[in-house]
Amino acid sequence: MAAPCSRMANRPLWQFITNVRRTGLKHTGVRQISLSSACRAATQTRSKTEGVASPWKLYGAVCLQRLPVISQERNPIEDQFAELMHQMELERSLLSDHEQRLLEDSERMTRKQADNYDSDEEEADYGGQETITAQDQEDSWEQKLKHFQPALRDRGRSGTPLGSVERCLGDSLVLLVQQTVGKETIWLLPQAQWEAGETLRQTAERGLNSLPEADFKATFLGNTPCGVYRYKFPKEVQTECCVGAKVFFFKAFLSAGSASQKEPFLWVKKTELQGYLKPPYLEKVDRFILNL
Amino acid sequence: MLSCLVYLRNSSPLPLIWYVVLHSSLMGVDGHVSQGPWFASVLTLKTSAPLRAEPKKKKKVDPRREQMVRERLKKKLKKLERVPPELIPIEDFTTPAKYMDETRVRGAPQLPFEESERRALLLKEWSRYKQTQHRAEMEAVGLAVEAQREALEELRLESEELYQAALRPDPLLFPFNHQGPSYTPPKAQYEAPEGKYNNITKVYTQ
Repeated sequence: MAAPCSRMANRPLWQFITNVRRTGLKHTGVRQISLSSACRAATQTRSKTEGVASPWKLYGAVCLQRLPVISQERNPIEDQFAELMHQMELERSLLSDHEQRLLEDSERMTRKQADNYDSDEEEADYGGQETITAQDQEDSWEQKLKHFQPALRDRGRSGTPLGSVERCLGDSLVLLVQQTVGKETIWLLPQAQWEAGETLRQTAERGLNSLPEADFKATFLGNTPCGVYRYKFPKEVQTECCVGAKVFFFKAFLSAGSASQKEPFLWVKKTELQGYLKPPYLEKVDRFILNL
Repeated sequence: MLSCLVYLRNSSPLPLIWYVVLHSSLMGVDGHVSQGPWFASVLTLKTSAPLRAEPKKKKKVDPRREQMVRERLKKKLKKLERVPPELIPIEDFTTPAKYMDETRVRGAPQLPFEESERRALLLKEWSRYKQTQHRAEMEAVGLAVEAQREALEELRLESEELYQAALRPDPLLFPFNHQGPSYTPPKAQYEAPEGKYNNITKVYTQ
């Protein structure tokens, strides 16, 4: 069909917009309004005649997120406050059974070591059994705990490549792939072109499944797109029936998956997106990627 | 002349008192009692008043009476059952008696002035920190909602059919389960040790 679109159009467009803002003219605004009114007219005529196609190409993209695996590190203020809360709770609480036992045992020890120790009296009270003190129990529990070695928290801190899913375990990561769009290969969220007869969510699923040498199991969150990115093709590529493209994003959570290291995948945090995505694209995508 | 007096006690439910006097061959010509009503001949069959009545049959009133008794008992049972069932006690709301003991009270520490000041200031700083965090979260959520609204607008401009398909709820999404973050990451090939436990929770039935 038409030639594939290119993102090169966006840089001159973006610069034009900034120039326009500086000069104070509103041509782009007018152009956009006229375009959207043309779209509306197109949809109206389509609803009547169903013959006029929309000038925008549709793409479905997926924003695949790997949710955090471990809790984040505490800020200094969070640390202080947690300590304070712990202290206050301790002060306001009653003694537990274990603590009472500890006190009793220590009292008994002091009584044993006193000069007027009457062992018959003591044994009459406690039946002459070999009692395990609470302190001994605590020590045995500590020993048991030392046998268990948990996995390290900062396993994915340094040294793991950007393409590995095991990266920053405390943050949610987004998948980026390198795809050829128009004349250049750029980093973007995995997308696929919409074909007639399928919903946009199916397009997004197809885009995810068609990633070469990757097997990601994802749970899509509903049928509604979470964001849209609209751009126009450069002048030389534009035809009558194809002015630009609209990319609809769908959110998904990663449930299981693996990928080979050869293919260019990136798992990045929200703060690192800036280094890989183009600014207008990033502006739209940044809004729906939550760091919560 | 044979006379045999048979006197049966009233042991059965049917009254049976009867004298039987056997008649000898010496009967009057017409066999007729002539001495008067109270002086029946010893030779005739003497009957008492109860015997003159009809013999006792099983009355229809009895099963009805039994049924009535049974219905009355059932009604009484129903009245007793109508009492509302005993409420199940909520064990979390009743403080067990062993925690009311005075020996359990921890000694209340006397905080120095600096310590209490530090605590008050830390609490205020914490509330400020949480407020900024909350505002940032609300803004982020607002932006996400706005982005979705724009996406649906654009989709509507494109095609009504796709728009309607996007609005449909996804039945397979719920129930949605996800294991939240833990303090340490999961160990690969870790076998948790099996343990036994005795469940001593009290189960109440109404």
